[in-house]
Amino acid sequence: MIPIMAWRNVWRSPTRSWVVITAIALGIWAALSLTGFATGMMKSYVNSAIENSVGHLQIHAPGFTEEYDLQNQLPPASELSTQLEALPQLQAYSMRTVVSSMASSSQGARGVMVKGVEPQQEAAVSAIEDKLVEGEFFPEMRGNAVLIGQELAEKLNLKLRSKMVLTFQGLDREITAAAFRVVGIFDTGNTPFDGSTVFVERADLNRLIIPQTDSTMVQSDLVYEAALLLHDVNQVDTVAALLETALPGQEVKTYREVSPDLELYESQIQNVSMIYLVVILLALVFGIINTMLMAVLERIKELGMLMAIGMNKLRVFSMIVLETILLGVVATPIGLLLGYLTINYVRENGIDMSAYSEGMASYGLSQIIYFDVEPGVYSQMAIGVFLTAILAAIYPALKAIRLKPVDALHSF
Amino acid sequence: MAVITTKGVEKVYNPDKIPVKALKGVDLEIEAGEFTAIVGPSGSGKTTLLNIIGGLDRPTAGYVEVGGEDISQMSDNVLIDFRKQHIGFVFQAYNLIPVLTARENVEFVMLLQNRSKTERHARADELLKAVGLEDKVHKRPAELSGGQQQRVAVARALAPKPTFILADEPTANLDSESTANLLDIMARLNQEEGVTFVFSTHDQRVIDRARRVVTLVDGRVDEDLRR
Repeated sequence: MIPIMAWRNVWRSPTRSWVVITAIALGIWAALSLTGFATGMMKSYVNSAIENSVGHLQIHAPGFTEEYDLQNQLPPASELSTQLEALPQLQAYSMRTVVSSMASSSQGARGVMVKGVEPQQEAAVSAIEDKLVEGEFFPEMRGNAVLIGQELAEKLNLKLRSKMVLTFQGLDREITAAAFRVVGIFDTGNTPFDGSTVFVERADLNRLIIPQTDSTMVQSDLVYEAALLLHDVNQVDTVAALLETALPGQEVKTYREVSPDLELYESQIQNVSMIYLVVILLALVFGIINTMLMAVLERIKELGMLMAIGMNKLRVFSMIVLETILLGVVATPIGLLLGYLTINYVRENGIDMSAYSEGMASYGLSQIIYFDVEPGVYSQMAIGVFLTAILAAIYPALKAIRLKPVDALHSF
Repeated sequence: MAVITTKGVEKVYNPDKIPVKALKGVDLEIEAGEFTAIVGPSGSGKTTLLNIIGGLDRPTAGYVEVGGEDISQMSDNVLIDFRKQHIGFVFQAYNLIPVLTARENVEFVMLLQNRSKTERHARADELLKAVGLEDKVHKRPAELSGGQQQRVAVARALAPKPTFILADEPTANLDSESTANLLDIMARLNQEEGVTFVFSTHDQRVIDRARRVVTLVDGRVDEDLRR
């Protein structure tokens, strides 16, 4: 009967109850939407990094990524390919030669990372081909071809078919410079990436860095980076472990290790979501305390009577807590449903942030954000509201049990 | 046999500031089956005495025994349990639980005693019939008149078969017809079931029906009249 009493007590003041139920439901909706937005943004950022060139996993010779020293080579590409192709989890891979370089035009010079790739392999791993806004992805041509980002094109005043010079150290540590023709301009939406990365054919780059006097080196075997794309991103750690065993002495890094900013971003977004959630739940705590305190204070005489006729403090306490939980029980499904519908809608249709595109692109974010939440978030939210309701009920419930029946009743 | 014994009961309010002596040594014995009215002018200590007898307040000095147990030293939690088992209350303002029906109100204390649903239903229906409200079983207090609510309150007080029933000005808010009706019911229950009733009242109609009238003046028993 006490649960029945609690339920009916909730509806003694329907307007007041609906106000707090609406507040809780909107709180859940807002928390879910913010989490959806933050997770969507995070995934957009991470996916854009993975698509642009990071891949899910990268293999380098030890120490290569610290100094980009060309002496730190991976095993010959032909051997590496055989080992990689044996992995069932692998979707595609791209063998790259990576050199740190100075790109110059008549307009100026900038430091860039030159990625020497095999066009077919690269197209399977990264989305650079799809991000071309001008030109073609390594067309058949004579001479050295280069793909540059829109940002670099603007800074160096380069256009399609313009010539640019890339200057870098060769394997013999001698400075080499070569002219490249711009065959394509890409725009990934990630301004820093577009301003500092260029793609050339690996064969061209290898030819330039191997000294002409060295006749022992097989050009096609020279490789410094293998970028791997898996069928399932959740398997990165498993595959990384497998590769570490298969390729002893080589550095196998997941996308989080390759770009620590991704891991930082992931954790920051999670922290920010958590802060949103805590702020919203705290606001709810005070809203609920206010409502329940009113519910207790206007029933002082009744609570005094209940204790006078034999309802013990534990039962009175439980009844007040139960009333608060029931408010949450009504509000939570409404809030979860609203949140689910919002997230599903924006997951499909996206939310257009193009008004802020410049700022977002400079952080490597795309213009359209698609909401996303992990399924577990819904249950976490429900548990969060449940705990919030209990927390918020404690003070009013304590207030109720501290009443002295004789005072509460005034007479008797 | 005395169901209630008070010995030298004193009650001082505000002992540290401006002390007000509400009771100045009350000795009283109430026997099982009595129908007693405690009367007296305002400020004579009627309500204070009932609060102390009912275990809602503690005496400053003296002691109160109910059924042979000294309740003046019991802790709050033990007292709540004691009240649930031994004392039925009827309040001036009815004080029913507004969200429960008449039957649920009557069942409530039995529920707190963990009695079975069948037993609770049967006892509640029997008592509501006894107070003439068998057709109002499913009505909530707001749907009942003042007299009907007070009859539900009497049924609720009787439900757990308490040692005695304390009624604080039970007719104060009732019209003549409802008062007569309620007094008839309580007198019948007293005679037929031997239930002990203790009232505080100003109401001459109640005083006229009481078989014992204890008059308090200035916190002392001034007169104890048995009829």
